[in-house]
Amino acid sequence: MKKSKKRTVSVLLSVLLLSFLLSACGGGKSGGEEGGKSAGPVKLEFWTISLQPTFTDYFNKLIADYQKSHEGVTIEWKDYPYDAVTNKLLTSIASGSSPDVVNLNTEFASQMGSKGAVVDLNSFLTDEQKQSYFEGIYNSTVIDGKAYALPWYTGTEVLFMNTKIVKDAGLDPANPPKTQDELAAWAKQIKEKTGKSGYARQWVSNLFPREGIKLLNDDKSAAAFNTPETKTILEDIKQKIADGIIVKEDVPFTKQIQYYSSEQVAFEMSGPTFINFLKTSAPDVYKNTIAVPLPTGRSGVRLSNSMNLVVPAKSKHQKEAVEFAAFVTNAENQTSFAKAANTLPSTKESIKDPFFTESDNSLESQAKITSANSLDKAIDYMVGVPNATDINAAIARGLQKIMLNDADINATLDAMEQEVNQVLKK
Amino acid sequence: MKKWVHSESFTAWTFMAPGLILVAVFVFWPIIYGIPLSFTDYSVISETHYVGFDNFVTAFHDSNFLTSLWNSLLYVIIVPVIQILSILMAILVNGKIPGVKIFRTAYYIPVVTSMVAVALIWSWLLSNNGVVNFILLKLGLIHDQVAWLSTSSTALFVLMFITMWKGLGYYMMLYLAGLQGIPSDLYEAARVDGASRWHVIWSITIPLLRPHILFCSLISLMAAIRVFDEVYILTKGGPGTSTLTSSVYIFQKGLEQFNFGYASALGLIVSVLIGGLSVLVFRFNQKGGVNPY
Repeated sequence: MKKSKKRTVSVLLSVLLLSFLLSACGGGKSGGEEGGKSAGPVKLEFWTISLQPTFTDYFNKLIADYQKSHEGVTIEWKDYPYDAVTNKLLTSIASGSSPDVVNLNTEFASQMGSKGAVVDLNSFLTDEQKQSYFEGIYNSTVIDGKAYALPWYTGTEVLFMNTKIVKDAGLDPANPPKTQDELAAWAKQIKEKTGKSGYARQWVSNLFPREGIKLLNDDKSAAAFNTPETKTILEDIKQKIADGIIVKEDVPFTKQIQYYSSEQVAFEMSGPTFINFLKTSAPDVYKNTIAVPLPTGRSGVRLSNSMNLVVPAKSKHQKEAVEFAAFVTNAENQTSFAKAANTLPSTKESIKDPFFTESDNSLESQAKITSANSLDKAIDYMVGVPNATDINAAIARGLQKIMLNDADINATLDAMEQEVNQVLKK
Repeated sequence: MKKWVHSESFTAWTFMAPGLILVAVFVFWPIIYGIPLSFTDYSVISETHYVGFDNFVTAFHDSNFLTSLWNSLLYVIIVPVIQILSILMAILVNGKIPGVKIFRTAYYIPVVTSMVAVALIWSWLLSNNGVVNFILLKLGLIHDQVAWLSTSSTALFVLMFITMWKGLGYYMMLYLAGLQGIPSDLYEAARVDGASRWHVIWSITIPLLRPHILFCSLISLMAAIRVFDEVYILTKGGPGTSTLTSSVYIFQKGLEQFNFGYASALGLIVSVLIGGLSVLVFRFNQKGGVNPY
């Protein structure tokens, strides 16, 4: 009796395991064929990241305008915190209730694109629509000729400077540094005269394109960063850490705000959104801060950090979803959103608006104008990289080992190259 | 059947059923579901394929995973340390000394504080210009500021210290409960026989605490290998891979890079490792204890 019970249990468990295995293998089927045009009333689910309640009025008006001009289309707007949107999107797709238009950063949009989880927009957009965005920013989510996202609001880095610390070091904030070398010389003098560091930064893969080092070769089949020039640049940065110009830490943005707010560093390289955080955390430091153009690295480009709109492949109304995403990101709506949110638009036409050229001498307008003037040179460093997150993780780990652990540069670059090549082979 | 409905065991199962259902759905189901997933390239967002043992083969060639396993095993160093310290603390607060309740509460406060808050407080204390560097510089124990969490030689040990600091109170309370279950006449007899304080601890307290030592060692061993919160909040596995623990790496592979199939395989390997180590702990702590009935 006992034996037969055991047998029954083991058979049941085996059936259970087999059914899980089969369901796992069968699950997650691409929803491409579910998309396309649908007849009758259409309800689109639109997700944004951390825009409620500050911009609720803007979006309610935008949605009302769209619904008025697109009869039969209803937009249901949902807003999620930055940390929650990834998991929420994964669980929604897994449970078969995919949203139709989703706000994602470039890295996540590229990751979704490389796994075929978002719609290729090329078949939906006209050439005129594609060309309305800044080329460098639009191309940041183009992988193998497929456009996976529409660029939305963006920002390029400017140099925020604590004028009090700079003056204490005997420097003139009215003549800010224009090159990386000048910036380093300023930071060195600041360290010597005041004991404070120049700036804090995070060791991530954007260091390479910033310094003109190619992440991957032209056909994106192998790592291209392991060169003697890279070694020279990394040695130079290590020296800057040793001289106290750069803080010897891996400092994420939230901690960079703390460092700058508590006057432990003199500079911050960031987009205009930094101002809002600074204003809240340290109003006195905010008063002493000016924004000037960021001295560029060897590449001469300025990196942008964009938000995008994607249409998941499992959307049941792909055509209507792309139309709505194009509406939200068109020049007119991007201009009005940039005015409401103090961000930058990714559409060429928007930037001609006087809002981006006329200054009222506030820190906000200094940063906005400085940042806007860099948009034509802006690129997002994720340009067409499949499995972007894996590659970023590998490079970040290697850079941390070199900068913070005094690991051998050659050996670490070799290991990083090997790891990136393995990721690319997947 | 009718007889069983009126039996004590039926009543017991009825009371346990809601909890068991929840445990089955949210604990056992994901564990079992993870097994078949580990043989696929499941990523939620794209089509899934059966990949056989590929994930397991990759895992044993993945230097980052092997490093994370090594770091997790290193983390186990804190298990004996935390047990010894919490036993000593429990013995200390078990005595009739003035203000003992304040000590018991003070030691327990970190246990009920959220790990996020604990981690953030320690990140401030340990920052370059933080209190820890300030005190050590004033005492002349260090000559330059130390970036405790950004230096590979210190980061993992600092994290271990934080884990230990937060967990001590919890284990102390468990041992305190154990100490209070030891019959006082055993101590009186030992005292009459002229046993020293250390002799009493060594020959009576420790052997009779064995079931508690087994339980506490087991859960702290599992917690040490699975450590996640403090590592993820404070270092995210960095600098480099110096604090990359298996849980953080599995999280990164699964929820940041969507390789759920691979992450499941890694989870399975770690589970087997924890199972093996747990058996070892059982073997070492089988005998001893006090029967309260």
